[in-house]
Amino acid sequence: MGFALDEPVSVRVPQTTPAENPINGLKRTGIKPSSLKIPAIDVEAQIQHLGVTENGEMAVPNNIEDVSWFSPGYEPGENGRSVIAGHVDGVDGPAIFWDLAKLQLGDEVVIQGEEKTLTFKIHTMESVPLDLADVTKVFGYTSSPELVMITCSGTYDFERGTREERLIVYASLIEE
Amino acid sequence: MKKILFSFSVAMVLVFSLLASGVMADSHMAKVRVVHASPDAPAVDVYVNGDLTLEEVPFKADSGYMDVPAGTHDVEVFASGTEYAAGEGVLQADLAVEAGKAYTVVAANLLESIEFVVAEDSMEVTDGKTKVRVGHLSPDAPAVDVGVIGGDALFSGAEFPGITDYAELDAGTYDLEIRLPDGTQVLPLEGTELAANTVYSVFAVNTVDSLEVIALVDYEAAESPDGMPTTGLGTPDQSQAMWLLLGGAVVLIGVSSLVWRKRFQQ
Repeated sequence: MGFALDEPVSVRVPQTTPAENPINGLKRTGIKPSSLKIPAIDVEAQIQHLGVTENGEMAVPNNIEDVSWFSPGYEPGENGRSVIAGHVDGVDGPAIFWDLAKLQLGDEVVIQGEEKTLTFKIHTMESVPLDLADVTKVFGYTSSPELVMITCSGTYDFERGTREERLIVYASLIEE
Repeated sequence: MKKILFSFSVAMVLVFSLLASGVMADSHMAKVRVVHASPDAPAVDVYVNGDLTLEEVPFKADSGYMDVPAGTHDVEVFASGTEYAAGEGVLQADLAVEAGKAYTVVAANLLESIEFVVAEDSMEVTDGKTKVRVGHLSPDAPAVDVGVIGGDALFSGAEFPGITDYAELDAGTYDLEIRLPDGTQVLPLEGTELAANTVYSVFAVNTVDSLEVIALVDYEAAESPDGMPTTGLGTPDQSQAMWLLLGGAVVLIGVSSLVWRKRFQQ
């Protein structure tokens, strides 16, 4: 199940003047993210830069306050999906992304880096059974900068030691 | 020297969807982007299976990649603002796309003979290398070569309407030019920076007297993990149950105090 914001695709018109080489300056540079804010659900978190676990999964912080950015992937602000994960709960109760499911399409997510601050707007939310999650797509290339937030959802599967679904929130960069 | 394979075919091709911005995890999706390269055509609206998918696309603009379901789709192009009527568009094609692949669909040629040019795009590049291809989309320009100024051609004999195969090169800065096979320069592209782990398409568009280039990034490589993160530290059902119990207890206390108050008021 999921929801997507019904907005038209925006087309891009080349801005370069004829004197410039149109091939240069095509690529966007991203930022190394340091903190995340989601005003709509009153979330503020430090961002750890992590890669993969021993079994190849995206790594997550070993505490419930921080979130992790998948640093071998795309940087926030680059073209492509930059992925941030956080726990939904810990042993004793709610964690940083406990309220992620309460977000609404159009809500904003602010990512701060040393160089600048970027704001993303949520356009799609979906909860996907773990086995059906398309990892290549969630972490994949897009022609514009996207931010993806992931946390666990669904009921807990004691045999697998994790919840049965992943809540995936997609947001697109609001251009300055 | 890179041999050229033209993709004249409208045969293969395209799709879009209503899920313009949608993502809906599902591995049966393709990527499609649309480019307006018809120099004398007005801005256009693009309908897919009868649904307005792109609005007011001007000459030289591109849609960026849209996620679309694999399959065959009815794609029809109208002058922007024209009311949709099936089969009445300036351009129509049944375009087919395969899951996991990416396509560029160009509306090319002058308006009176407007046509689709479709190419499959590369979504991979050798680590540290750069990849580039060129498209000849200038309706009245002769066949051209694209190469290093004073050096070898990277692409030779490109003709309208065609998109070449990719050439994989070392990343770096190249002094390139579009030139006639006899060496006469048509358009300089000096100081072209081709970045590592990046795939480019460079299209020559417009009529020969005002020839220009539009450039697109097809892909930028980055790693992805083998699996989704495990984002719950505890045994959530139990802790959720605990929170529910706690909540229930609060409600009970609230209700019972109401009862007490009522009693005291009586």
